[in-house]
Amino acid sequence: MRRLAAILVVVTMIPLPVRAAKVELPTWEGAAVSGGYDLGGGLWPKSLTPDETGAAAGETGEAAPGVAPDGTILAVSPAVGTAATEASGPGAPRFFGPEGLVDNIGVPSGNRPGVVENPDGTFLIPQEIAEEEAYEPLPPIEGELSDLYFAHAPVDFLIDPQRLLTEQKSNDIKRFLEFHSDESNFRLFVMALGETQTIPENIDIDGLHKKWFSDSPTVLMLYYREQPQLTRLVFNESVRTSLPQSVFDRILQNTLREGGVTDLAPDQVEKMAIELSIQLYWLSKLMEHENTDDRARAANSSIHEMIASSDAPELLREYAPGIFIQDSGKVLSLVFSLVILIAGISLIGLVGWGILAWKGREKISGQPLLFPDFKISPRLGGEFSGGGFVGMSFELGDGSAL
Amino acid sequence: MKCPKCQRPVDHEAESCYSCGYSEAAAAAICGGNLVLLNRIHDAAHCLRKRERDDLAYTLDQLELKFPQMLFCVYLGTLPSHLSLSELGFWLLNHGQVKGAEYARPNENAILVLMDMNTRQVGISLGYFAESLITEEDAYRALTMARPNLVNAEYGEALERLFLRLGKILDRKGRQLRKLTREQLHAGLIGAQNPVLDLPQHLSPSLAVKMAPLEIPLKSA
Repeated sequence: MRRLAAILVVVTMIPLPVRAAKVELPTWEGAAVSGGYDLGGGLWPKSLTPDETGAAAGETGEAAPGVAPDGTILAVSPAVGTAATEASGPGAPRFFGPEGLVDNIGVPSGNRPGVVENPDGTFLIPQEIAEEEAYEPLPPIEGELSDLYFAHAPVDFLIDPQRLLTEQKSNDIKRFLEFHSDESNFRLFVMALGETQTIPENIDIDGLHKKWFSDSPTVLMLYYREQPQLTRLVFNESVRTSLPQSVFDRILQNTLREGGVTDLAPDQVEKMAIELSIQLYWLSKLMEHENTDDRARAANSSIHEMIASSDAPELLREYAPGIFIQDSGKVLSLVFSLVILIAGISLIGLVGWGILAWKGREKISGQPLLFPDFKISPRLGGEFSGGGFVGMSFELGDGSAL
Repeated sequence: MKCPKCQRPVDHEAESCYSCGYSEAAAAAICGGNLVLLNRIHDAAHCLRKRERDDLAYTLDQLELKFPQMLFCVYLGTLPSHLSLSELGFWLLNHGQVKGAEYARPNENAILVLMDMNTRQVGISLGYFAESLITEEDAYRALTMARPNLVNAEYGEALERLFLRLGKILDRKGRQLRKLTREQLHAGLIGAQNPVLDLPQHLSPSLAVKMAPLEIPLKSA
């Protein structure tokens, strides 16, 4: 009985809070308040927006151009529209958008000129203006900037106080130049200058090279941004005198060739540094074997005619595998061996084919063949045959013997 | 050796099949006891064109020049259902006379190729002399070689290939025989030493030797 009473109480109590709780619904604004959004997000004066103008016209009882009084859209030619617009005066409704005023001439405002239609139906396409990346004009190298370049011996292998190269490429080039200096007899410094900048007249770059790098063979590459043809290589005096000028000319030529492959300054520096590194490697090899007898030979020979040795730095191989010239003698012998191998296989195949063809030939030739006579006792009563028989079906799918 | 009718093994000197009693007399009862005249290329089914027949005749001429003792002939027909190819081959070799076959080419030297266009079967019937030169295995290989052409209904080419293959087998066998001396050949013929010919074995002496121990206990019993 108590349980029944408790259940009754619970059942009667539960709906009370449920009934008491009310869901708060959002209240909508009145119709008169809503609809206050302006075309253009309020960026333009309200008097210039077509909605406002249309509304004003509606109030005065005039329909917008191209719109009938009943609200239908009329076909209006641009000329007529323009005439109407001009005739209607400054207060006439005209569309102003982000592109500015649109009229029948077809030349939208902005940087790009529009396509103009000629009366004969052809279109006059405006000439595209090539967008050139504009660098900030660089100051002449003088004063403090000159000190940054030439006052002290460089610490880094990449001398770029003006940050002409991108940071990432600069780091890559620095790392590569450090690696090169570790592996090669020649150290390589790259000095990046602006395309309009020149070495000050009071700076003797050869003298500075001698002052800075007289202790070890060093090459200083003066690179002008995006002007690889102006690049200059400065060698030690001892190196320059030990080899003919043609060698250095070829080194410069090959370096410039690599730099001309690309247009971007960081890539140019990277490629030229790699190529110069390779050339310096061979230059060092050349200098090791240099003597008076070899000078004449070296003068007449191209560096690229020298074969790549197996101990060439692996990084250089990785960077520029196509630059290494293979040993032509080895290639020739390899080709010759290959030809011999193919010829041998072909000959063996030909002989084998000939033997097989000879063995498998179905031709009757030679002298008549006589078999020895022998008698066989007859069977099954047959005078000439005892029923010796071999048969086969040639029905498709049935190859059984009979 | 098998019976042409029931394909059961038959002894080389049996007068009739032990299983079905088939013999030449039974064949004559079915097909007739008379002699028949055959062309060398007997195309009763008319499935060879003239060019094919001419090419095949040329091939057979070449074979006959190479093997003057052998007779090569072909029979193409549509057999009734109660007559098998092996029976017809058995009867034709014993009752047929090939036109132009001179005395030097008796039917026992014949290699007769038969083809039944109804059941699409092909077979080789051999005379006594021919079956000693061509084994069943070689004959079956020759048929296998010609089967692709037969399947493609290139009957003339198939028969040419078949005969050329048989000629090659005969050539090989002839070269083997030529190397043997008379004594070796005689020994081979009697089956005493490495028989080069596919001749029936004389089982009687060896059977007698093997059966002797059995007879003694039987007699003693």
